[in-house]
Amino acid sequence: MGKEKTQIKNQIKTLRFHQDEMTQQQLAEQIGVTRQTVNAIEGGKYSPSLEVAFKIAQVFGKPLDEVFQYVESLP
Amino acid sequence: MNTSFEEKSVWVQLVSLMVIFGGYFAVAGFMMADGVPVLIAYVPLFTVSIVLLVIMLTAGHIIAVCFGKPEGRDERDRLIEWRADSVSSHVLGGGVLIAITGMIFEINNVWIAHFLFLLMFLSEVLKLTMQLVYYRRGM
Repeated sequence: MGKEKTQIKNQIKTLRFHQDEMTQQQLAEQIGVTRQTVNAIEGGKYSPSLEVAFKIAQVFGKPLDEVFQYVESLP
Repeated sequence: MNTSFEEKSVWVQLVSLMVIFGGYFAVAGFMMADGVPVLIAYVPLFTVSIVLLVIMLTAGHIIAVCFGKPEGRDERDRLIEWRADSVSSHVLGGGVLIAITGMIFEINNVWIAHFLFLLMFLSEVLKLTMQLVYYRRGM
């Protein structure tokens, strides 16, 4: 089964690494979703709601467009 | 393991439905082929199936809890369920129209009732399957 990637890229994995190697579970707890959802967002398999996207940006203290980028098309 | 409790729950529901109501339709199919003409004759079989389904669902969820506590549902779980519901509702809607057509041509109630029940079963199986596809493949 092929993976369907969204057109939203993100830097969550890098930002987690720079945030004292924060785990997906820790991030999930801070934004109120499950670890599997954080994993799906990171892997580009799920585009979060605006509310969750803003919460993620807030956790890392970054503007939204430094965390998420919209790309025209993915191969 | 990268499977949430919600996804495990969907697996439990899918397997339980397939096993229990797969069995129901196999037995009911033989009864209909033998010409059992009244709906009430199928009630004991249906009742046993419902009881077995509840037991299997309960046991399945208890086992799922043993492999990881429920994290609660979040926006992704809800969106996945809505999308899967949207797909499966087409099967149900289309089938109801066929059933109504069958009633117009005065097909036996036993066949109409089982056709409607089969539709409910198939649309639920489709919904659960689509949920698993969305969980694995992404949306």
